[in-house]
Amino acid sequence: MAVIGVARFIQERQSFESSIERSYQAEMAARVRLAEGRRPTAARAIIAAQQTQRNQLQDNISTETRNTALLVAAGIIAGLTGALLLFSGLIASMRRPLEELVDAAGRLAGGDRSARVEIGGLSETATLGTAFNEMADELEREASQRDQLDRMKDEFVLTASHELRSPLTSVQGFAELLMLEREKLTAAQYDTVEIILDNSRHLVRLLNDLLDLARSDAGRLTIHPVPTEIGSLVEDVVRSIRAQTEAASQALELEIQPGLPQIAVEPDRIRQVLVNLLTNAHEYCPQGASIRVTAVHSGDQVELAVSDDGPGIPVEQLSHIFDRFTRGDAGLTQRVGGTGLGLAISKSLVELHGGTLSADSSPGQGSTFRVRLPAGGDR
Amino acid sequence: MARVLVADDSETILLLLRTRLEMAGHEVQTATDGQEVIDTLHRGAAQAPDLLLLDAMMPRKSGIDALRELRAEGVDTPALIVSAHQDAAAADAPTDLEISGYVTKPIDFERLLASIVELTS
Repeated sequence: MAVIGVARFIQERQSFESSIERSYQAEMAARVRLAEGRRPTAARAIIAAQQTQRNQLQDNISTETRNTALLVAAGIIAGLTGALLLFSGLIASMRRPLEELVDAAGRLAGGDRSARVEIGGLSETATLGTAFNEMADELEREASQRDQLDRMKDEFVLTASHELRSPLTSVQGFAELLMLEREKLTAAQYDTVEIILDNSRHLVRLLNDLLDLARSDAGRLTIHPVPTEIGSLVEDVVRSIRAQTEAASQALELEIQPGLPQIAVEPDRIRQVLVNLLTNAHEYCPQGASIRVTAVHSGDQVELAVSDDGPGIPVEQLSHIFDRFTRGDAGLTQRVGGTGLGLAISKSLVELHGGTLSADSSPGQGSTFRVRLPAGGDR
Repeated sequence: MARVLVADDSETILLLLRTRLEMAGHEVQTATDGQEVIDTLHRGAAQAPDLLLLDAMMPRKSGIDALRELRAEGVDTPALIVSAHQDAAAADAPTDLEISGYVTKPIDFERLLASIVELTS
């Protein structure tokens, strides 16, 4: 419409210009006649008439110009509005599915495996939605398979450690029976029985550790804290290991701050952690090393520390020290009886108590393991 | 010296328990499941045990189930439950069931023998 209007306007403009030109020519001819004195009255009339006609033409063309400008403006506005409507329609039809996609992707990333989108709208967003849903289906399938495998693994470990206990009870029990009559055994038989006992104890330790880890993974490792005299607990543990450290000519120092508060812990579990730390110190340190155990109250925590002046832990191993099946240097572990699970379990246990377990070491300078337990409340 | 009724579905474990308990001077009766435990107790007061040592998990009838029935009948003989691990047995046992203690496998015989003396003296 605007284009037609503009074309007509150009056409009219051209005819206006030729009319104006003709009018000027007529006026000029009249003025020549007037100058020559021929029929002056008629000439003056022609001049006046031409001027009037030109004014008229000017007025017409002005109106025409304004109208055309309006027309063009209206055309442009109409076009823009149309484009805008078309665009906002497009955007609106894309926006909702896209918003839904973003929302669903967020929920999926947040762990909601049932997050799906409704398929609809433009074919592009529908394709996107279908692809998203297929991906989410696949993820859900994989996640549920993984969950099932995890559950099976936990169940397996729990059942295996349960089922292995009966035969182990027999092995250990009958070996102990033989030991009760050791005076009847030859030296070689005695050594044999001792090997059986050592190994069955090691198996029991491994089973207990695996059981703890499986429970921890399944969220079934629980503690039952009771108000505990932590100082005497530490003393007990140190006393229980002294025979082993003395056999290795290792010094075992104990320093307990007087007046430690009672804290809420499960004594067996904290004992387990301390035995683990002390056994590690004993087994990884050479003959004649010094091991030091301290218990102090600082702020709202009780800190139990086991330090030694042994070989220390290489920097690259220190960051993995609490990982499962991580054990110290192979050259040393030949004679170390651990399962490689002790520190991982100790860390879980301390954290279950709301505390922290950390390790500091510099190679050649020894190591320090710190158990920090909350001391608030149960004084 | 006490009379102890020991129940376990494993003959080997029964032999081990019988040997160790008899070495400590106790008299041992055995059962291979919970029903046998109940039947033994029903046979009469003359042979009544001073203590029950029951495996938590046995085929046919578990130690826990047998104990529950006996307690319902008014039998108040002290009972120790033998289990692979304590929390497994504790999870199965109702808290109102009167249990004198748990023995975990592998069995710490020094502790077990001390408990027997304590519960029957």
